[in-house]
Amino acid sequence: MPQKIPVTVLTGFLGSGKTTLLNRILSENHGKRIAVIENEFGEVAVDHELVIGAEEELFETANGCICCTVRGDLIRVLDQLRKRRDRFDHVLIETTGLADPGPVAQTFFVDEDLKEDFQLDAIVALVDALHINEQLAEVDAAAEQVGFADVLLLNKTDLVDDAQLARAERALRAINATAPIVRTRRAELPIDAVLGLGAFDLNRALQRDDRFLEAPRPFEWIGSYALGAGRHDLHTGGAHHHDHDHDHDHEHGHEAHAGHDHDAHDDGHADPHAGHDHGALAKVGLLVLPAPGAGESGIESALDEATRLFGSPGALKRPGSAIEPGVHCTLALDGHAHFGLELPKAGQWLVILEHAPVEFGFSLMGPAPGAQREYGSHHHDSDIGSIGIQDPRPLDPGKVNDWLGYLLQSRGQDILRMKGVLNFRGEPRRYVFHGVHMIFDGQLERPWGSGERINRLVFIGRNLDRNELEAGFESCVA
Amino acid sequence: MSSASQPRLQRRVRILLGEYPVDATFSPDGRTLLVGDGAGTLQLLDVASSALQPLGVHAGGVLAVAWQPGGKLIASSGQDGEVRLADARTRESRLLSKAAGWSERLAFAPQGKLLAVGSGRTLRVYGSDGIERTSPLQQPGAINAMAWRPKGLELATLGNGGARLHRLGSSAGASGAAASVETVEHAHAGACLTASWSPDGRVLASGLQEGSVQFWNIGANTKSQMRGYGTKVALTSFSANSRLLATGADQAIVVWDFSGGGPEGSEPLQLSTHTARLTQLAFQPQGPLLASGARDHRVALWRPGVATDPVDADLLAGELALLRWSADGRWLAAGDSTGQLSVYEVALK
Repeated sequence: MPQKIPVTVLTGFLGSGKTTLLNRILSENHGKRIAVIENEFGEVAVDHELVIGAEEELFETANGCICCTVRGDLIRVLDQLRKRRDRFDHVLIETTGLADPGPVAQTFFVDEDLKEDFQLDAIVALVDALHINEQLAEVDAAAEQVGFADVLLLNKTDLVDDAQLARAERALRAINATAPIVRTRRAELPIDAVLGLGAFDLNRALQRDDRFLEAPRPFEWIGSYALGAGRHDLHTGGAHHHDHDHDHDHEHGHEAHAGHDHDAHDDGHADPHAGHDHGALAKVGLLVLPAPGAGESGIESALDEATRLFGSPGALKRPGSAIEPGVHCTLALDGHAHFGLELPKAGQWLVILEHAPVEFGFSLMGPAPGAQREYGSHHHDSDIGSIGIQDPRPLDPGKVNDWLGYLLQSRGQDILRMKGVLNFRGEPRRYVFHGVHMIFDGQLERPWGSGERINRLVFIGRNLDRNELEAGFESCVA
Repeated sequence: MSSASQPRLQRRVRILLGEYPVDATFSPDGRTLLVGDGAGTLQLLDVASSALQPLGVHAGGVLAVAWQPGGKLIASSGQDGEVRLADARTRESRLLSKAAGWSERLAFAPQGKLLAVGSGRTLRVYGSDGIERTSPLQQPGAINAMAWRPKGLELATLGNGGARLHRLGSSAGASGAAASVETVEHAHAGACLTASWSPDGRVLASGLQEGSVQFWNIGANTKSQMRGYGTKVALTSFSANSRLLATGADQAIVVWDFSGGGPEGSEPLQLSTHTARLTQLAFQPQGPLLASGARDHRVALWRPGVATDPVDADLLAGELALLRWSADGRWLAAGDSTGQLSVYEVALK
């Protein structure tokens, strides 16, 4: 059986720099022979022998299931390309700006002929740093492309300032918590950043599972403070907020996301380059916990407890009310407000916030945090987001099968991607899986080493419900 | 069945092209095989002498070839975006069209006076003089398959969403005349992949991506569908007597019988011998035999309805890439993915 031909899918909005990237890949001397299927005509040197133009065409089934939709144009062109497989090493598919990556990916799992000759390598999304926030707010396809991606290439970074760049990255992270973000200007990328990533190769995915499975958290920021016993003043609506509303346009147009209590802001989609006012956050989750130690390690060891407590509904706190440690609170924000934090004893304390402090002008009167850490944003310009689960308890393979089977049946259309490494009871090897919509691929892989056996799962999709996913996971514990 | 009357595959030619044979067709007299390969070379194989003669090149690879029924014209298309028309005798060729997209479908009308060219979603119809007979006809989707109705001037194009029948006016065959075209829609949900007319011209059949076969009885204006295939149906072929339709999905050959009230309500015949996905399926013109080929490197010869096992088979060096019968049903050409080309004489021993 000859090696399957790897296929990279390049997505990206109009203006993201796909053509520049493609021309680079075709003209640079990197020793790889690449056949390109181009859905957007006319911009790339078509006289190149291995550039093939094909008009995008969706083959839908009579039952209308989007998970069964495949791309007829790719089936047709790749069936010809496989007849000359000794002439190229890799296929690159350049989709149109508005293409849905789902059917492209599904084609390689559903079509029986393509499956035999081709293997999906990775879905790469090229993103325009200057316009991404506005695109995510306005066009669902942009969020879908980001959500589907195995790698996000953040292009045109030379055209934005640091704050815009950070905002763009937060917006990407909010949707896709696992794909590495590679910054670039003028699409100047080593070819290794685009080809040969092996994102759909279960064996290879494992070799870098620490990065690909860093679980998203329901909070964005933790600060560690050395505080005395008694009452401390928490302060919201500080000047910071008003000075930096420019930093907040990524809030626009989002919809309330399951599991998060955001208010929807419907105040239009203004040009992100012009500073503009917008509705401020109305509520924010807060939790105070005793730190097992000072510094980053103290933060690290409290993460799972904090995640667990954040999963319960927050107790509503109006300005002026008192807050006690260990209780997930929802602060009602109303401009400039104060809350009282009552601490039973002196020591190292963690303040855990649903949103970064800068976003609602948060400060604690007294010492600055000795250590602080930011976590992936869960702001939503789109209803697409990531949910991660980390848990060491061994699972029952039969129950996992039932749960994932049910999940794919009931939520397959909403789940864009899922990936995971599972700890099966009594099984020396890791179970590794990934999925695209309702297509699922999983197998037992190399043994757990001396390290901790821990389940890690990430779901990227539309309107995902953390509680539903956690309850499902819970049902699988052996 | 006595072995004395058993049809056999007798190999008369074996040559190494060295390139993947993409498409091939016999000359109307069956003496010459035109073959186009993945390197782009068009060659004429003289069956009697095994001699190869070059005919031309499509840079990047050949996509399709066709030979004018009863004539000497050869149409070819390639990954260079070109469609060429050549004279098999003089081997001179002319460019019909060149475009960025591929022209993957070529079909001469039964009388040989018209050539249909499908490029993506565009259908063009040329006269044998190389002049377009109509303005380009835009289809709703890419043309996945097309076939002229036996006898007459009707062309079926099939793709995502069903079939379309294009009736060309009777002046279409005449030199220099522009033709009227009447298009009849035969819509169907799903993506049609193949086009097979029953030789009597009554039924048009197509295999679908979602694992079913669609039939249109054009005369009676009825249609029906057969489901239950586990994978897409990429192969269909009608028997010479219009009675049987062979379909291929995955490793199994499923044959529907149109006699009596069939195929609705009838159990299809299932023929299995292949151990990997089928790649080719072709009923013998003017005969009862069916040839099949698969990724298991094997070519098999069947007599559907008479025997459930292959009546003969041969093992090739690679996956079966193409199978073509000569018009009289005497010769069968088989090419494999290693670039080996064989021509069998199919004889009753």
